[in-house]
Amino acid sequence: MAVEFYRPMRLNNLNSSLQQEIREACDTDVEMCLECGKCTGGCSNAHIFDYTPRKIVQLVKMGAEETLMNMDALWTCVACHLCVDRCPSQINIPRIMDYMREKAYHQGVKARRPNVELFHELMLDSIKQTGKVAETQLIIKFNLGSKQYLKDADLGRRMFFKGKLSPFSPNVKDINQVRLMFIRTPVHKEG
Amino acid sequence: MTEQRVVSPEELFPEVPASIFLFRSCTGSMEYPGTENAIKEVMNKLGVNIVMDPDQTCCSGYLLTCSAHKPEVSLAVTARNLAIVEKQNLDTYVFCNGCYGYNRELSHIMKHNPAYMQMANDVIAKQGYKYEGKTEIHHVQELWYRLKDEIASKVVNPLQGLKVGVHYGCHYLAQQYHILDDGGYPTFHEEIIEAIGGTPVFYKERQLCCGYSVGRGITHKEVMVQPHLYKKFKSAKEAGVELITTCCPGCNVGLDREQPNLTKRYEEEFNIPVIDISQLIGIALGVPLKKLGFEANTVPLNGIINRLGLERGESSL
Amino acid sequence: MKDKGETTLVVGGGLAGMEAALKIGQAGYKVILVEKQAVLGGVLGQLYSSFPRWEDPQALLNNKLQQIQQCPQIMVLTGMSITNAQRDDKVYIVDLQGINQGDIRQIRVDAVVLATGFELFDASVYGEYGYGIYPNVVNSLEFEAKLKEWGSGHSEQIPPKSVAFFKCVGSRDRSKGKPYCSKICCMYTAKQAGIVKDMFPEAKAYVFYMDYRASGKDYEEFTRSVIETKHVRYVRGRPSKVLPENGKLIVRAEDTLMGVPIEVEVDMIVLAAAIIPSRGTRELAQMFRAVTDEYGFLEHETFNPVKAGDRVFFAGACGFAIETQGAQYQGAAAAAEVIALFNRDPQGGD
Repeated sequence: MAVEFYRPMRLNNLNSSLQQEIREACDTDVEMCLECGKCTGGCSNAHIFDYTPRKIVQLVKMGAEETLMNMDALWTCVACHLCVDRCPSQINIPRIMDYMREKAYHQGVKARRPNVELFHELMLDSIKQTGKVAETQLIIKFNLGSKQYLKDADLGRRMFFKGKLSPFSPNVKDINQVRLMFIRTPVHKEG
Repeated sequence: MTEQRVVSPEELFPEVPASIFLFRSCTGSMEYPGTENAIKEVMNKLGVNIVMDPDQTCCSGYLLTCSAHKPEVSLAVTARNLAIVEKQNLDTYVFCNGCYGYNRELSHIMKHNPAYMQMANDVIAKQGYKYEGKTEIHHVQELWYRLKDEIASKVVNPLQGLKVGVHYGCHYLAQQYHILDDGGYPTFHEEIIEAIGGTPVFYKERQLCCGYSVGRGITHKEVMVQPHLYKKFKSAKEAGVELITTCCPGCNVGLDREQPNLTKRYEEEFNIPVIDISQLIGIALGVPLKKLGFEANTVPLNGIINRLGLERGESSL
Repeated sequence: MKDKGETTLVVGGGLAGMEAALKIGQAGYKVILVEKQAVLGGVLGQLYSSFPRWEDPQALLNNKLQQIQQCPQIMVLTGMSITNAQRDDKVYIVDLQGINQGDIRQIRVDAVVLATGFELFDASVYGEYGYGIYPNVVNSLEFEAKLKEWGSGHSEQIPPKSVAFFKCVGSRDRSKGKPYCSKICCMYTAKQAGIVKDMFPEAKAYVFYMDYRASGKDYEEFTRSVIETKHVRYVRGRPSKVLPENGKLIVRAEDTLMGVPIEVEVDMIVLAAAIIPSRGTRELAQMFRAVTDEYGFLEHETFNPVKAGDRVFFAGACGFAIETQGAQYQGAAAAAEVIALFNRDPQGGD
């Protein structure tokens, strides 16, 4: 209904336990936030975030979980840690981002940036197969999977012939151990 | 945090270690093997013995930043890697900021949460490993700073005032305790560069993150990384920087490999080579160029080599 | 006037100390006023202007100095400091020493008022602000000195074209600084910014704030006039980086009200650093067995906001950050306590 659409955000309908969840999972209490904005002031990517670090902390306070899981900033944060470094209350924003990313992924929320999930799958595959990140194969598969066939092909060709990209990459000594780790680790509740 | 954040190099290393375990970096050892070699050569000259183990895996930092899997896997991976080091009864020395950050944080979680330590040990016990939380994590740059005077005394190729800009990266300075600087205005790399005869340049965007961040640099680098790097290189060029040093192979990849793309996109030449600080120390201490592996660099080092009047050796650069 | 026997030691010749000395002296008791600098005045002597009335602090200072001169009960000892104190029944035996090590004295006093004042937290802890690295990044007391210079009309210094004021540098910071609020910085920053606009109408002034705290008579009106009439630009956001560019300084912060990162280029940056007790306050308090808190400020007893120990009182910023008027109130209150003490039981029990 049109009337519903224009209603302001009602605080008591939002997830009031999010703050507590973050306190336990990320060992950081957002109540300590002074709303000073020093985090955003130094953030490497604040100019392209849809929600700046300070706003993200405010979203946690308000319990707006859906907004947090669907925002673009989740996938453009580079984890440079300047925010928590400068914060006078030491609010661990990178940890909160890690936690929300994990939560979003497991709930099947699609990442807003193209190709992020593809990249993750390929990376994990690479590790499962070889124990390491084999970058050549990773990039080739990524380009194929994201249909950017010739992206950086020129650079890749030059690198290949200069011996900088090897098509083969040595396996870790005991790859089975690594594979078993993926199977064996139990699911715990935190991040 | 009750522990001291910033400590002096003497507090970090009351005694200079005789032997260290050098932790390989996935990006480092594959993209810039010269860095690993440089460290071995320089440590050799300084009388520190290096131990490595091919059984070691990637630190799993990539996985954590992507946050696309259970972090328990990273805990187990870290426990296994550090258990390998503990078998040698040594401390862990990494040369990648990413490895540093992730190993420190994950080992911290395990050391302070017995349940997680137990869980990780349960997984790796089946393969015969046990992590006890004894090995300390250090970054090679800390040892360089501690041995700054020794390094200065062994210089054979002083850098002749070469204008060097430092890129510290993010994950070392972001740790919460026991590091050399809190990141407000770090100067310890610049001090090392001065000690080996270079001229450190404090360019405006010195402390800007490279943006590569294990993954972002591949999935959406046009939006993320290139504008960052453009800002950084522009301010470095304006300040007259001739060479940039890093202490993280991830950053090195970003800063070095993206330069041709930047030139294409922004129609501006930079031609500022980017090498690891260990390689620069290697040059100053007279390590033969062919052992420093500059063939792996996208932006060639020819200009610098000529400027310093060094022998080319058998490899072409 | 009947000469009353008791002597009071007042440590610190700033406004609070002078006020206490005057009220005790004018009531007829002997006072020894000890000041470690060469002149009386403390921080009051360093100020160019005051809030909320824009009055000249030197007029206030001169008034007090004149009154002290005219009060024969007060003996002023400048350039001296306390080295030791011992209790002997109801009296303190105090050793004094001249700063040049020359003059050594011992005095017997019946009560003590500590008024050692404050200094500013060392802002070089914040490497990101470049204090101690870039020459045009100064703290608020250093800036007040610049205002005095420009105001004198004889200055050789080039006036700035734009100044940024950072509030809460070291205050309200649980990670690197002090967790408390230093109370007076919001007001004095508004004052300093307002003066810059008065002196140099073409200059730009920015104040980076988290809050502005103006709780006092005429304080809110004062701050609003600085913003609305003098056109100082207030930006809500704690700055995160200061970067040098072509001889100027770039400030990076977030405008939290808009929610966007912003940058501004300025010539000079003034840091309103946190207020901490003058060095030596804790040691001094220990000599008189007075209680200090975890930050070194003097702690008052229950029911008595100016009493820190047995026959020991305090006034002014050594107890916590306070503005000029407050230092005066407290000085007078400490004096009243001393006088009441002497009259309750002269030379007797406390």
